[in-house]
Amino acid sequence: MNEVSDNGVDPSAGLLPAGLRDVLPPRAEVEAQVTERLMAVFAGHGYRRIKPPLVEYEDTLLAGSGQALAGQMFRFMDTASHRMLGVRPDITLQAARIAATRLAHDPRPLRLCYAGQVLRTRGSQLRPERQFAQAGFELIGSAAPAADQEVAILAAEAVLALGVAGLSMDVTNPLLVPALCEGLGLDAAVAKAARLALDHKDAAALHDAVGPGKAADTLAALIDIGPAAQVFARLAKLDLPRAAAAMVAQLRALCDGLKLALPDLPVTLDLGEFRGLEYHSGVSFTLFARGVRGELGRGGRYMAGANEPATGCTLYLDSLMRALPASPPERRLFLPFGTPHVEARRWRSEGWSVVRGLEPVADATAEAKRLGCSHQLAGNQPRALA
Amino acid sequence: MAANDALVIALPKGRILKEVMPLLHRAGIEPEAAFNADDARQLRFRTNDPRIDLVRVRSFDVATFVAFGAAHLGVAGNDVIMEFDYAELYAPLDLGIGRCRLSVAEPRELVANDDPSRWSHVRVATKYPGITKRHFARRGVQAECIKLNGAMELAPALGLCRRIVDLVSTGSTLKANGLVEVETILEVTSRLVVNRAALKTRPADVGGLIDRFRGALDAA
Repeated sequence: MNEVSDNGVDPSAGLLPAGLRDVLPPRAEVEAQVTERLMAVFAGHGYRRIKPPLVEYEDTLLAGSGQALAGQMFRFMDTASHRMLGVRPDITLQAARIAATRLAHDPRPLRLCYAGQVLRTRGSQLRPERQFAQAGFELIGSAAPAADQEVAILAAEAVLALGVAGLSMDVTNPLLVPALCEGLGLDAAVAKAARLALDHKDAAALHDAVGPGKAADTLAALIDIGPAAQVFARLAKLDLPRAAAAMVAQLRALCDGLKLALPDLPVTLDLGEFRGLEYHSGVSFTLFARGVRGELGRGGRYMAGANEPATGCTLYLDSLMRALPASPPERRLFLPFGTPHVEARRWRSEGWSVVRGLEPVADATAEAKRLGCSHQLAGNQPRALA
Repeated sequence: MAANDALVIALPKGRILKEVMPLLHRAGIEPEAAFNADDARQLRFRTNDPRIDLVRVRSFDVATFVAFGAAHLGVAGNDVIMEFDYAELYAPLDLGIGRCRLSVAEPRELVANDDPSRWSHVRVATKYPGITKRHFARRGVQAECIKLNGAMELAPALGLCRRIVDLVSTGSTLKANGLVEVETILEVTSRLVVNRAALKTRPADVGGLIDRFRGALDAA
């Protein structure tokens, strides 16, 4: 019954559920290469790879910070244990669990990295995909400002190493607006409305929520986002409550560190942002590339396990693929039927992807083209096919 | 500068466009002549500023074009913004034009003997199923929405449903169809909307344009 769609028409055998897709050549190869290049950069900064399972008990995935992703998780009953299992909607949570359990006695700070697929119950506006690949790294057990800097710099360097053009980083602290509202003496309902308005950059809604006065003027100053230096200059003129001022100082330290390490990276500051950063508990950042739909990655502070300070970053392979320069054409070499194995081995060792004919053919050039090869042998040398 | 590097502003066709044009003028943006020709087939228009292009789309589509980054800025009512609730859409300026309200209306004879506190379900004809469902859900009422794209006022008279949720400006259309406004859901004005990624990756260009519109508003 459920093989038939609602209007009684049999779907084609190729139909996949919404948000799921087959990745085909050459994209699948490129995505795997990109993943390994990212992992190599993470390894170069001392991050060691972990490989958590796809499925865990629901309550371990949702423990602590994971609660923020509860609505995004596929759940099912384990017929063996009769417990609820969840498919991971994110890998950061698993890295945090590993750090808090099996690696609890490893020296801190702990540097872990991973790459893998995640599954979510809903796609978002910009990412309708429900399954996609993440590659990320986590720095667990340090609250030092240098840890924030290491993570943000590594995130940008890893993306730049792929050749992405027009990269920019947007920095925030999702706890700043709540701290500011508390310091300004706003009640919870007003604070919630103000936070939502600031996230939407909706000046009219902010005005409706807070009304006129000092609180409104202070909050309204956060609605304009822009290059970090400009926003800091504007913030300097405000009389901020102490907790908020301390957070601004942390953000400034991060931006100064970024400026020193990556002077050409545009850094913007958006103090109103909090959607999508639900499990973050401090300095956070988002990576964008000019002209590319969606975010390339997100990172920042969170609490791992039993309140261990942690920070890290997750990059999204689907957005990264959209931001990449076109990859060079594949080098596929056709060897006609009967070419000795030793010769095929030689070309492979020189980096060619070798496609061997399985039967004799009259026209080797036509056969090479038919099989999607870029080159064939001519006078014992690869020759590009027109 | 590459041609595709120009910022694209999406403007709504129809009623609101007439109110937007003076603002555009005060912001120093003059569209090419074809923009004002009603019969033009052209969809994308240049302006006196080579870094700014205009497109003219249906008012509901402005939010979608901007949310997906196809246009960088746009002018859209907060009714449309709320209906879609796109996470990628910012609304930094209230332009104060296109004033109206989004209201629940029902036949005059229904108002007298109706007790809304007893409802568990209502059927509503509307162009705004998202806002309508959320509005009634807050009161614990499940709204079954019949999506119409126009002539909502006809629905109760023809027995499609008893209530409608629609934009009201003077209320004369409602009155002519024997309907009474029973509740205002939202006061509507047009906003300048901006694509989130565009504002973050081109803060100077996009922020500069927002400032020009703000200046145009202050001058009004």
